[in-house]
Amino acid sequence: MRRVAITGLGVVSSLGNDPDAFFDSLACGRSGIVALPAPGKTGNQVLETPATHIGGAVAFDGARFFPAPKLRMLDRASQFALVAATQAVRDADIDFDHPGRQRSGVFLGTGMGGAQSTDDGYFTLYAEGSARVKPYSVLMAMTNAAASWIGIEYGLTGPNLTYSTACSSSAVAIGEATRRIANGEVDVMIAGGAEAPLNYGTLIAWDAMKTLATADLEDPGASCKPFAKDRTGLVLGEGAAIVILEEWQHAQARGARVHAELVGYGLCTDATHITRPSVDGQTAAMRRALESAAMRPDAIGYINAHGTATLSNDAVETAAIKQTFGAHAYCVPVSSTKSMHGHLLGAAGALEFVAAVLALERHIIPPTINLVVPDPECDLDYVPCNARIGVDLSAVMSNSFAFGGTNAVLICRTVIA
Amino acid sequence: MTTLQSVQGILQASFELAPEVLQPEAKLEDLAIDSLSVIEVMFAVEEKFQIVVPTKSMRLLAEIKTIRDLVAYVDALIAEQHPALAGGAVAT
Repeated sequence: MRRVAITGLGVVSSLGNDPDAFFDSLACGRSGIVALPAPGKTGNQVLETPATHIGGAVAFDGARFFPAPKLRMLDRASQFALVAATQAVRDADIDFDHPGRQRSGVFLGTGMGGAQSTDDGYFTLYAEGSARVKPYSVLMAMTNAAASWIGIEYGLTGPNLTYSTACSSSAVAIGEATRRIANGEVDVMIAGGAEAPLNYGTLIAWDAMKTLATADLEDPGASCKPFAKDRTGLVLGEGAAIVILEEWQHAQARGARVHAELVGYGLCTDATHITRPSVDGQTAAMRRALESAAMRPDAIGYINAHGTATLSNDAVETAAIKQTFGAHAYCVPVSSTKSMHGHLLGAAGALEFVAAVLALERHIIPPTINLVVPDPECDLDYVPCNARIGVDLSAVMSNSFAFGGTNAVLICRTVIA
Repeated sequence: MTTLQSVQGILQASFELAPEVLQPEAKLEDLAIDSLSVIEVMFAVEEKFQIVVPTKSMRLLAEIKTIRDLVAYVDALIAEQHPALAGGAVAT
């Protein structure tokens, strides 16, 4: 199997619109979760702002990045993806020359695709009572739009696939892209995820599941409390994260700077319940990732947890980490950066993987903020409230688990020539 | 305001194009206005001129290549739907 280098990173997030700004915010324990503006469009209905109307919202003006004719064809999720991809390609300093394009592709993950465009279309149709839905609606809302636009942007004619496995989508995309490179099918992959779920219809649908956190209206940034006794649920976030994955020799030959080596990918499915997480399923995914990396559990120096802050996930994930790591579970720092950027659903795996790569590179473990009241069921080292600086890390793990039961775990390690 | 001026105004606002590129002979394709964008333009045209663009006219829309073609198409609809206004001077 061929080795896979991570040579480029790109981020659009509520904590900053580039990888440095994003990680600096994480290291400071700053939250990007804010109160969302009341729905601006009401048509002929009076729409109430739900109590949970908070989110990890991105400060982003698409007009800064795209000319008007193109912007009108791009859902917010695709805009995020294209901007993050541009950053990652620039960071990798890679030119896709003609023969290289055939051996390069794009794998993205998204849970809800162009949810904003779907919401806009239904608003026009049902609230305004008009059939003048935008002619681009289908092309904006389709789940594979973001990946397709990236492929067109760089002329990549290798595989272009979109994975939709809810909250593990982009971890799956990165893992599958890694396998394609390792197998020799392709040399360079643009991989990651994008999500833009902070529209009224999507928020209401999530609210209806009763999985969203009770909003702290005084301090929205304090609403998401992973692993805490007083946790009340998840907070939705938006954004995109993209990595450039490159076959090791290909990266070496062009003198590329390598952030880290992607060495482990574990994938499995619970096949038990549509929402309820499974200790055995999560354990199997972590074990498979360790096996594929040929690593013992004690080689892992940091776990970026799935850590949604739902009652169920955090207890189950804690149990699964104990089952996987044995006694080492109490020694390895585990944190949920969702406490700061919220849950990006299909983009969560990619954003948190980038957080893990940067933790490895910078020797900084980002904290789980808002973890003040410990839960006896969650008794690991969750790096509460403050980052740890100057930590010697050689390998890190990023967990992504999902509604539907698809569990994906990624492991990367420092560069060893 | 002539139909041409009104159409130019719609295109300018919708696509952030400079007025000088919106000459009658300019090809829509060269202005990055594709067939789906033309349909969106038609929504604005319907409101501006108080006309209805027939839903079965996709073939006709596909034949609109230049701004002049677009203006001629709009003028034809105005003549058909608002005979009193036909001849140029229009509307809201």
